[in-house]
Amino acid sequence: MTGRPVSALTDPTVRAGLRLLGRTLLRYRKASALSIVSALLWMAMVATVPYLTKVVIDRAIEGSNADLLPPLVGIVIAAGALKALGIGGRRFFAFSLSYRAETEMRNRLFEHMQRLAFSFHDRTATGELMARASSDLSQVRLIFAMLPITIANVSLTIIVVVTLIVLDPILGVVASLSVPGLFLLANRYATKILGVSWEVQQRLADLSRVVEEVIAGVRVVKSYGQEEQVIGRLAKAADRIFKRTMEMLRLRSSHVPAFEMIPALATAAVLAIGGYRVVQGAMTLGDFVAFTQYLTVLVFPLRITGWFFAELPRSAAAAARVTELLKTAPEITSPKQPIPLPEGRGEVRFSHVSFSYPDGPGVLRDVNVVIPAGTSVALVGPTGSGKTTLAYLVPRFYDPDEGAVLLDGVDVRKVDIEELRAAVALVFEEPFLFSATIRENIAFGNPGASDEQIRLAARLAQAHDFIVELPDGYDTVVGERGYSLSGGQRQRIALARAILRDPRVLILDDATSSVDAVTEEQITEALRKVMEGRTTIIIAHRMSTLMLAERVLLLDEGRIVASGTHEELLATSDRYRQVLAETGVIDEVAP
Amino acid sequence: MMYARYGGQHRVDKPFRLLARAARYGRSLLRPAIVAAVWTILATAAKLVAPLVLRSGIDKGVTAGDLRFVFGATGVFLIVLGLQYLTQRLSTYQVAAVGETYLRDLRVRVFRHLINLDMGFFAKSKVGVLVSRMTSDVEALTQFVDQGAISVITSLLMVTGVTVAMFFVDVALAWTVLALLPALLVVSIIFRRYADRAYQAIREQIGQVLGALQEGISGVRVVQAYTQERRQAVEFGRVNEEYFKANLQAAKAIASYFPAVDFLATVGTALILLVGGRRVIEGTMSFGSLVAFLLYLSYFFEPIVQLSNVYNLLQAALAALSKLFGILDTRPKVAEPADPVPLPELVRGAFSFEHVTFGYDPEVPIVVDIDLEIDPGERIAIVGETGAGKSTLAKLAVRFYDPDEGQVTLDSVDLRRLAFQDLRRHVAMVPQEGFLFSGSLRDNLRFARPDATDEELWAVLEAAGMADWVRSLPERLDTEVRERGSRFSSGERQLVALVRALVADPTVIVLDEATSNLDPETEGKVEAALDRLLSGRTAIVIAHRLRTVKRADRVVVLDGGRIAEQGPPDALLAAGGAYARLYDVWERRGRDSGEIADHV
Repeated sequence: MTGRPVSALTDPTVRAGLRLLGRTLLRYRKASALSIVSALLWMAMVATVPYLTKVVIDRAIEGSNADLLPPLVGIVIAAGALKALGIGGRRFFAFSLSYRAETEMRNRLFEHMQRLAFSFHDRTATGELMARASSDLSQVRLIFAMLPITIANVSLTIIVVVTLIVLDPILGVVASLSVPGLFLLANRYATKILGVSWEVQQRLADLSRVVEEVIAGVRVVKSYGQEEQVIGRLAKAADRIFKRTMEMLRLRSSHVPAFEMIPALATAAVLAIGGYRVVQGAMTLGDFVAFTQYLTVLVFPLRITGWFFAELPRSAAAAARVTELLKTAPEITSPKQPIPLPEGRGEVRFSHVSFSYPDGPGVLRDVNVVIPAGTSVALVGPTGSGKTTLAYLVPRFYDPDEGAVLLDGVDVRKVDIEELRAAVALVFEEPFLFSATIRENIAFGNPGASDEQIRLAARLAQAHDFIVELPDGYDTVVGERGYSLSGGQRQRIALARAILRDPRVLILDDATSSVDAVTEEQITEALRKVMEGRTTIIIAHRMSTLMLAERVLLLDEGRIVASGTHEELLATSDRYRQVLAETGVIDEVAP
Repeated sequence: MMYARYGGQHRVDKPFRLLARAARYGRSLLRPAIVAAVWTILATAAKLVAPLVLRSGIDKGVTAGDLRFVFGATGVFLIVLGLQYLTQRLSTYQVAAVGETYLRDLRVRVFRHLINLDMGFFAKSKVGVLVSRMTSDVEALTQFVDQGAISVITSLLMVTGVTVAMFFVDVALAWTVLALLPALLVVSIIFRRYADRAYQAIREQIGQVLGALQEGISGVRVVQAYTQERRQAVEFGRVNEEYFKANLQAAKAIASYFPAVDFLATVGTALILLVGGRRVIEGTMSFGSLVAFLLYLSYFFEPIVQLSNVYNLLQAALAALSKLFGILDTRPKVAEPADPVPLPELVRGAFSFEHVTFGYDPEVPIVVDIDLEIDPGERIAIVGETGAGKSTLAKLAVRFYDPDEGQVTLDSVDLRRLAFQDLRRHVAMVPQEGFLFSGSLRDNLRFARPDATDEELWAVLEAAGMADWVRSLPERLDTEVRERGSRFSSGERQLVALVRALVADPTVIVLDEATSNLDPETEGKVEAALDRLLSGRTAIVIAHRLRTVKRADRVVVLDGGRIAEQGPPDALLAAGGAYARLYDVWERRGRDSGEIADHV
């Protein structure tokens, strides 16, 4: 959604947006220049044709010189051809310029979003970023599409007004009064209607929410036979849309016919005053006709110009939002002079690590722990104890506020990010699959992997068997727009993806959702194989995964409060037993 | 096609049949539609008369040197303008009002039909598709009504009117101008063909771009974890470039069409000047007619360009109509009887499955020959592996589906013979997860009985042991539960759903127990509320918790869609059959994870 319409061009964020618009125009100066030149050509011819008409009338028709007609009319057609050329060029160059700019800006936005750190994405909703790269950019594009014609329109208006005054000063001044009238009316209309149409959009979004919710909850609706109740809800939402739309229509029906009226009123003035001047002999019939033609020529340009100035603040605001996003610096970047990761089997050391989220309380406080190479630990703790955060510091999804995380003896901040993340693979709690084939999903981190390697990884992750059962095997398209897999299946594909990287350190954020016993068994089996001899950090939510780790670290309020084997902790730590019970990892606690 | 939500085909068969059907739905709007038509005709007429007034002003006033006539004509001209403004305003408003009213009613009509379809339909359909029927498809129609309909009507009227007016002014010159029409039509048709293809491509590509964008953003963490930012950006750039190319195609079509039309208009002006000018010189036509013709020429070209612009909207509207009618043509598989059997004042709650066989695909029965009689007030626990047919049995019990063979009865009446109102009043299903609707807590609690008073709600909350919890909320019953109840934890949502069922106060309750993990405190509350809900009612519980099974009067073990064994839990345990084996597994797993699995 674009934000509420703004109308002030003086707003500082709007000014920042205008600067982006200006810079982009300069960047595409060739297309900009061509579109403006075409527009000016069009403008010149638009201004010429009524004048030629006047010449035809005065010289040939009124002068009763029929021989002059064909050559003069030939000139009119030639001017018409140039005018058409101008229109075509203006449209084509302005459109391609505007779409080129939109496309490039969208690429830049996408690339930038990909580089922004986790902390940014944690606090920014997907919908908001979508809006930046779609509706905001379309709004920005509008300006590029409209700018050349607006420049031409404004110059056209000036030229026409000057011509009218030259043709007949008195009538010229009177007829020119329609110019500001029409512009102000068009601008007022555009501003008002943009406001109301924004409201309509909001009401539409409300209705869509109602429908989505009712369909998602249709079982409840039917269980209680409350169809009429929800129809009532929808009808109310539909009625709100109706009311707002009618408001918009009232505006339209009072303004749009008026756009025709203003030049028509000027035509009436031409008839009265112009007729008087012609009868007096102060003006020719050709001037008279030229006047009426000039007035019709102005209607459309003035409407567009009014519209342009109403859209401009909105576009500038959209551009400002885009600029702001592009200016957000990625918080985590590779060091300028990275040091190569030394040989090693993945020893992870947290040294006096403290971390807190912006404006939040401390999540980790002075954590000191070593995970020897090739061993596995499970992180256990109540919600909010910092388990996930601690694990995410290793591949530098976040950087600690104090202290350092060392991988095989090197501070991870000193290593090139690509090299670091190649050494640390991670399976997320919510395994994300792309709308691509299973093969592509497994090979996501190693696009060049051979089929054999992919199959091997899938076998290790206990995914091969169910994959070959699928309609297209490894070529089955999955993800949001493909075949839906169960949570357990998705998790195993994500695991295969991680294994294929053959990382020094494997981090598993275990899914909390319940899976049935068979799946749980399969996942446990897969993990057991994968973990063999590899440094593994498990964020445990389930007994079966917890049991896989050689050692357990108990986190509480950002500190490691106990460590040891599961049995040791169960025997010695009350807090451990309490945490397991609270988080539902185990049901009852044996004393 | 991927991203069907954003893009997709726009062509439809038999457009006239569609429009005729659409018109039938609007019969109640006939009167305002006629009014709209009258205003539109008057507005067109007023617009066409104005140049004629101008003509006589010029001929009889200006060229004749009669100033009084000039001023008189100006007066008439102003009056005509006033009428034109008034009628145009009324016409614009009335046409749109008819259209908007029609759409509002259509939206409600489609939704009413949709929501009354059977659960089988909803199980098959994707939420996104149904939502887009109610939103983007109706939007396509709105766009047409808002921007298209009025232009189509006025444009057609105008083209006809201008043609008539031109012939009225001067026949020979009228033919000259009409000679341009074939050229105009050819250019418009060629443009349509190119533009159609271009717009089709744009719709498809915008879908791809939005999809790629969405995925790039929601999958950003994985992308970074595997340092594939550059590859993602390159791939996105490729999709984005395709969209650009599609737009460029459309730009080319537009950049050729409009200049062509404009050039034809100039040729028209030139022809009028050439032919008309010669006639004026010869004295066979007045100068005012020439001026009137110049004005008519602009009136003539404008509507044809308009029509060509609107064509796209019309295509989209027709496609949307055919999709909406598709929903209206879907017949519910579970229908209300024409003459339902009334239930007695006091329903006892005897419930039975009599030789019930059913499969979602009749070839593959899920439950087979289920024969089960449940006494009023009895509590039945249904257990069995995943796929044993437990939820299907529950769905048959509330008539989400009808059995292929046999019947399900309440107090000996076949459910298929009951009015929906009676059926839903007495037999209610409490689904697994507590689904809440956005709105206040009060609205959710009284969802099943919208007329329940606050006192009644508090009484039920007390009884369920939930009153203190509601009192602890800052706004108590007025608390907004937010979308899908996100204000509350999943355990709290379950609790609210249970109280909602209590407020409904059904005679027979069908409960699909939740499987998700709850913290011990909430777990206790859920137990208490459940007990309160189930006591004194006939209850069919799809049990996932050992405690629930133990408290049942009778356990029914399903296996492969058939009843494997049934009886009181203790007796079955002692008998050492299927139930005893299940019990064993639960006991073992229960110690580990606090929940029982569906699987053996």
